[in-house]
Amino acid sequence: MERCRPTAPLAASLYTFALAMAGAAGAEIDFNRDIRPILSDNCFACHGPDSHERKAGLRLDTYEGAIEERDGVRAIDPGALAASEFIARVETDDDSELMPPPKSHKVLSAEQRALLKSWVLSGAAYEEHWAFLPPSRPGVPEAIPAPGRNPIDHFVGRRLAAAGMQFSPEADRATLIRRVSYDLTGLPPTPAEVEAFLADGSPDAYEKVVDRLLASPRYGERMTLAWMDAARYGDSSVMHADGPRDMWPWRDWVIRAYNANMPFDQFTVEQLAGDLLPDATVDQRVASGFNRNHATSDEGGAFAEELRVEYVVDRVQTTSNVWMALTMECGQCHDHKYDPISQREYYQMFAYFNNTTDPGMQTRNGNQAPVVEVPNKETEAALAEVAGAIAAKDAEIAAHKGRARPAFGGWLRNAENGVGEAKPEVPGLTHYFPLDEQEGDTISAQVGGGVGKLSGTLQSVARGAGRGLKFDAKSDFVFGEWPARERDQPFTFAAWLKLSGGGAGAVFARMDEGMNYRGYDLWVQGRAVGTHIINTWPGNALKVVSDRPLEEDKWQHVAVTYDGSSKQEGVKIYIDGQPVATKVEQNSLSATIATSTPFKIGSRSRSAHFNGEVDDLRIYGRALSAEEVGAIGGDPIRGILATPAERRSPEQGQALFDHYLATQDGVYQGLVAARADLAKRKTEIESRKKVTSMVMQDNPAGKTRVTYILDRGQYDQPIKEGADAVVPPGVPEMLMPLPEGAPANRLGLAQWLVADEHPLTARVAVNRYWAMLFGQGLVKTVGDFGNQSSPPSHPELLDWLAVDFVESGWDVKRALRQMVTSATYRQRSNIAPGAVEGDPENVLLGRSPRFRLQGEFIRDSALAVSGLLVERVGGPSVKPYQPPNIWNEVSLNGGLRYQQGEGEDLYRRSMYTYWKRSAPMPNMLIFDAPTREKCLINRPRTNTPLQALVVLNDPQFVEAARAFAQRVIREAGADAGARIERAFHLALSRPPTERESAILAGELERVLGVFKAQPEKAGQLLAVGESARDESIDPAEHAAWTVLLQIVLNMDEALTRG
Amino acid sequence: MNETNRRRFLLHTGHGMGAAALSSLWTPGLVGSAAASGPGGFPNFAPKAKRAIYLFFSGGPSHIDTFDYKPGLKDIHGQELPESIRQGQRLTGMTSGQKSFPCVAPMFEFERFGKHGTWVNKDILPHTAGIVDDITIIKSMNTEAVNHDPAITYINTGVQQQGKPSMGSWLSYGLGSENENMPAYVVMISRGNGQLQALYDRLWGSGFLPSQHQGVKLRSAGEPVLYLNNPPGIDREMRRGMLDGLGQLNTATYEKFNDPETQSRIAQYEMAFRMQSEVPELMDISKEPQHVKDLYGPDVEKPGSFARNCLLARRMAEKGVRFLQLFHRGWDQHGSLPSKLRAQCKDVDQACAGLVKDLKERGMLDDTLVICGGEFGRTIYSQGKLTADNHGRDHHGRCFTTWLAGAGVKRGFEFGETDSHCYNIVKDPVHIRDLNATILHQLGIDHEKLTFRYQGLDQRLTGVEEARVVKEILA
Repeated sequence: MERCRPTAPLAASLYTFALAMAGAAGAEIDFNRDIRPILSDNCFACHGPDSHERKAGLRLDTYEGAIEERDGVRAIDPGALAASEFIARVETDDDSELMPPPKSHKVLSAEQRALLKSWVLSGAAYEEHWAFLPPSRPGVPEAIPAPGRNPIDHFVGRRLAAAGMQFSPEADRATLIRRVSYDLTGLPPTPAEVEAFLADGSPDAYEKVVDRLLASPRYGERMTLAWMDAARYGDSSVMHADGPRDMWPWRDWVIRAYNANMPFDQFTVEQLAGDLLPDATVDQRVASGFNRNHATSDEGGAFAEELRVEYVVDRVQTTSNVWMALTMECGQCHDHKYDPISQREYYQMFAYFNNTTDPGMQTRNGNQAPVVEVPNKETEAALAEVAGAIAAKDAEIAAHKGRARPAFGGWLRNAENGVGEAKPEVPGLTHYFPLDEQEGDTISAQVGGGVGKLSGTLQSVARGAGRGLKFDAKSDFVFGEWPARERDQPFTFAAWLKLSGGGAGAVFARMDEGMNYRGYDLWVQGRAVGTHIINTWPGNALKVVSDRPLEEDKWQHVAVTYDGSSKQEGVKIYIDGQPVATKVEQNSLSATIATSTPFKIGSRSRSAHFNGEVDDLRIYGRALSAEEVGAIGGDPIRGILATPAERRSPEQGQALFDHYLATQDGVYQGLVAARADLAKRKTEIESRKKVTSMVMQDNPAGKTRVTYILDRGQYDQPIKEGADAVVPPGVPEMLMPLPEGAPANRLGLAQWLVADEHPLTARVAVNRYWAMLFGQGLVKTVGDFGNQSSPPSHPELLDWLAVDFVESGWDVKRALRQMVTSATYRQRSNIAPGAVEGDPENVLLGRSPRFRLQGEFIRDSALAVSGLLVERVGGPSVKPYQPPNIWNEVSLNGGLRYQQGEGEDLYRRSMYTYWKRSAPMPNMLIFDAPTREKCLINRPRTNTPLQALVVLNDPQFVEAARAFAQRVIREAGADAGARIERAFHLALSRPPTERESAILAGELERVLGVFKAQPEKAGQLLAVGESARDESIDPAEHAAWTVLLQIVLNMDEALTRG
Repeated sequence: MNETNRRRFLLHTGHGMGAAALSSLWTPGLVGSAAASGPGGFPNFAPKAKRAIYLFFSGGPSHIDTFDYKPGLKDIHGQELPESIRQGQRLTGMTSGQKSFPCVAPMFEFERFGKHGTWVNKDILPHTAGIVDDITIIKSMNTEAVNHDPAITYINTGVQQQGKPSMGSWLSYGLGSENENMPAYVVMISRGNGQLQALYDRLWGSGFLPSQHQGVKLRSAGEPVLYLNNPPGIDREMRRGMLDGLGQLNTATYEKFNDPETQSRIAQYEMAFRMQSEVPELMDISKEPQHVKDLYGPDVEKPGSFARNCLLARRMAEKGVRFLQLFHRGWDQHGSLPSKLRAQCKDVDQACAGLVKDLKERGMLDDTLVICGGEFGRTIYSQGKLTADNHGRDHHGRCFTTWLAGAGVKRGFEFGETDSHCYNIVKDPVHIRDLNATILHQLGIDHEKLTFRYQGLDQRLTGVEEARVVKEILA
């Protein structure tokens, strides 16, 4: 094994808390570790990269700047303290001379001044900032003192040994499986999982657990939750009305990507530029929605361009922060104060995101274009299922029709004999609805067949001696099978109508409103009548209506004839048999009108419901003459029966058969009714809201939006003067150049970020994984790797992990597996006496950290151990219990109320809780969840009384304790000790100690006494939450165990990753 | 807690702000009396105010129709806004399309009040008129923002975009709480009759500061503090027993892991328990004498009203809550301003005056700072049609009015001046950053020293632009 280069002496290596000692000991000075943080924090704001604000022309961020002679004086004269004005100015007692100046409120400590002096004396060597140089894979040091489990341990062990410390012993197995289960999946292990691990004697028992966890879908959920903070994911738009949006398809994409172990470079490219990939798939476009998650506004008075610029600013900030841990946003108004990023370079990055098509003003109701329609697997599966059922039913109907012929013959002979005198029917009738139904939820065609299924209420009304139907602008009938109609097929639509109010609606229609109104209808508007025949409304359509309205509240006969010519002249309208003048509102039909949407009486596909009464509805397959229109009426079946059989047309013969089936054949009627049910279901599924997800989309070449530097960052102050006023897309010079052939758009930017030699991307990513598992990063400032960052505690380990990550093909699961299988990770978390004094922040990792679980894990754990947790990956966000009035107390005009979900929605994992960003779920905010209005890389971790109140009093947790009690009572038998033991195994993954059992047993006795004496209190407690209770459990006992297990769920250990 | 544990405790809860962070936990009892000052040294100097009450009128109250009155406004009534006044200024999207911009003089009666003859709308602010000798009125407030969301975010957090801590959370972070059973920062919300602009959690949120500094909403309906009440069936005695059992179990955990965070958790549960009795006591006004309630007006009997919230604010202030912010919604009079502003003022007029009087009578006005104002003002020109008795006004950020009282602020003083059209500032501008710097100053904080390192920058409430303490209004 290759030996690493000599490491810095002990004291200096502990610089994060013992920097002073390094100076005092006169140890070798490392510029990046010891000097840069002092200079950056205290000097760079005025003597750094920002050329505009630079004082006295002096820059201290470069060696050349520092030693340059001005007016015979040098800030730093390497090796010569007395000649270095820099030293004089930090040492002086004269406030007017002192640096940093008192008004900056920066004060150098004696130790810092000593370090600076040693540094100048030793030659004032500068080094480039470590994070801006590409990492190279350092050799793995030899293990000290004992072989580690993997290279990580060699790096960590060596540092520990140098400090005279050593690893803590390995944690016991129960602790270990609990820790790694939380860290990789966000949930505790089940007792069975713990038991299996304890019983597994194989040498790779632990590795098997890790592999199982990484393969679990929970892993993707857990990783996505962290990513959601960084990606500022929300279910609402943030500004002003903070209306809803649907970005959960993007969230689900992230879950799938993690679970499929998508390499991090691909994960990056698809989220930053998925839309720009060749032949981008729907998934890749959805992924690009990463940069549509930012806050948007709908405020009426707002300035659209100001907002649009804000969105671009957010994208630059979020992208540079998430992938590079750079605070590029400083460059919006001026050159960066600390890092070598000029204002121009900022706008080069800005240009990458400045060419998108989404507008500044966005919607308050749902997604703003550009969007992509997301295939909804549930809807597709349901549609396929219902289509199959319809086909099967059609086959049944056809088979039955064949079998019905003999019986029809018998009926026909009787009917012909009984018909007597009747007027022969006008030929061409294809459908006839008497509309005499007075009850039930279907109507039938007496001619033409077909059964309509009702939505709404059936209201029968009188027309003379007969009956008609009344429609209330809400009801309609949907039909299954219906013959197709094209624009060259003539028709006559005829019916009796009685209209009272105004308004508009379709007496009947076959029209798909979702497809630009393709289809046809018999139309009423303001008591005028007419028809639409449409390919695409309004550009390719025919619309003709009567010039005069029907009389109010009077039955009148209406007929509309059409000759199949696609022309206005082809449409004639008759009222009470008389042709009337028409108005032509559209006359541009030239393409198909065929649609697969069902035929409906009473409405179009979704809306335009008819308000009025109708009777005796007939459809003919030809345009009747004026004379024939006048002859419509009577019973058409009697008319056909009166026509001698040999003179009947085939259609008339068919009409008789249909009539027979519809009126005489019970089996047929049952089949058709069942088919109508299916058709209705199909319509319902089809009318479900289409799911979309917002995506990135660039203006096409030739319409590219030009980027200028904005003066002081003001959206309306572009600097357009100068030869190089136009700022093309580009990347900061201090980092590596763009890869050969990278396009000048977001795709090129993404390719640059994931280039193997990029100094930041891999380091930032592995550091974030490290922080997730170890509580803090190797670089503590997880979101800032610039000059103001904390230097890495283990620089070589960081670089080794970064290079290894890239060389593994950006394999995320592998990187995590490597970390959690290290001996470093597997140590005990007990804090040995004296350990805190030696290394209070546990920088050297001489033990495993112990920290409070994040809020989502605490809630999910309570649901999991109680058995309430509903595990379903992805889908729309859900609304579990929330205290009343959280939304409408603050919402625009108080109009928005939280509608609590029900059933399973109350028990999903917390990452699926609906996240309204102006008023997020309070029980999670209290546990440090960010509002997600802006990107946040690292949550704070606090310990407050409000957190206690949540776990003690939130109905979600009280209900969980009740269900937990029920589970324990059922699973552990009658013995209290056994129940406590079971509860501990479930909630804490270990048995209770004797002392713990005794404490709880005592408490049980006390509480049980209270509930027995006051059973009403037990009833009240057990009524919390919507899940059902097992009524066979004695209420006092159930309540007492609820209280007892509330105590367990509130234990420090239950809230902590140990 | 020993010194070592305390240090570690800090490292876990704050971000290296030392004792300042320490003092802002609600835990002075836990950490001894180190609450007052530390390396950050807050307060930086002897504070004039121990606490502050901010009466925030959300929506943009009209300065023209309340305090910024000039008799000459009658002369310009109905005239077009001259370009010499507008100076090409951008208008919000709501009126930028108007063809005409007729100026509107207030459709109210104004009168001079107090020793210095301060103009106040006597129709709708008769009670406030009675306290002009106790307050300073700043007529030259200004902000760059002219739409609600950015403007209200700006004045409360220092920037127009999301993501920064609110003023109250900065104060909590810097000063901590005086009462270990109560949060340092409490927020109450009431609503008026007008167009209710939205509020956002970020206005009292903690941004990148640790979340114990976020404002705690005190609520009129349901639980006064979210999750405060025990579940039904669990009384205080039973909860006490639960916490005793829990404390024993957690002590055992502490003995095993030696983790000071466990001790802190035990203490937090005890504090939660004390809060459960303290808050309801503070919310219960039944023992307030009638003559005190009368100061706030009849609405004080209505839970959730602005008047009730003012009385509660006084009670909280008395008990050591550091910063109270009362949001009253409904000041966005784009139309029907004469009638809607009248109704809106009726909600607040007597209560504002009553609060100042009540504090004064108790001797609390000397160390309690009261601030009253909104996020911007309104235009001199009418939004929509100007009729004989009706008009609206659009948003206006170039000038607006805020008043302050108590804690070292001059009494009976007016500061700043606007032009003949109440449109531009002609004297002594006070940017909202200056106001915030001044509020911090009265609480003993140098606004340049109240910093928190986040993303490489020493962030502060007043941001990177110049901000000044308005010394001229200080006694």
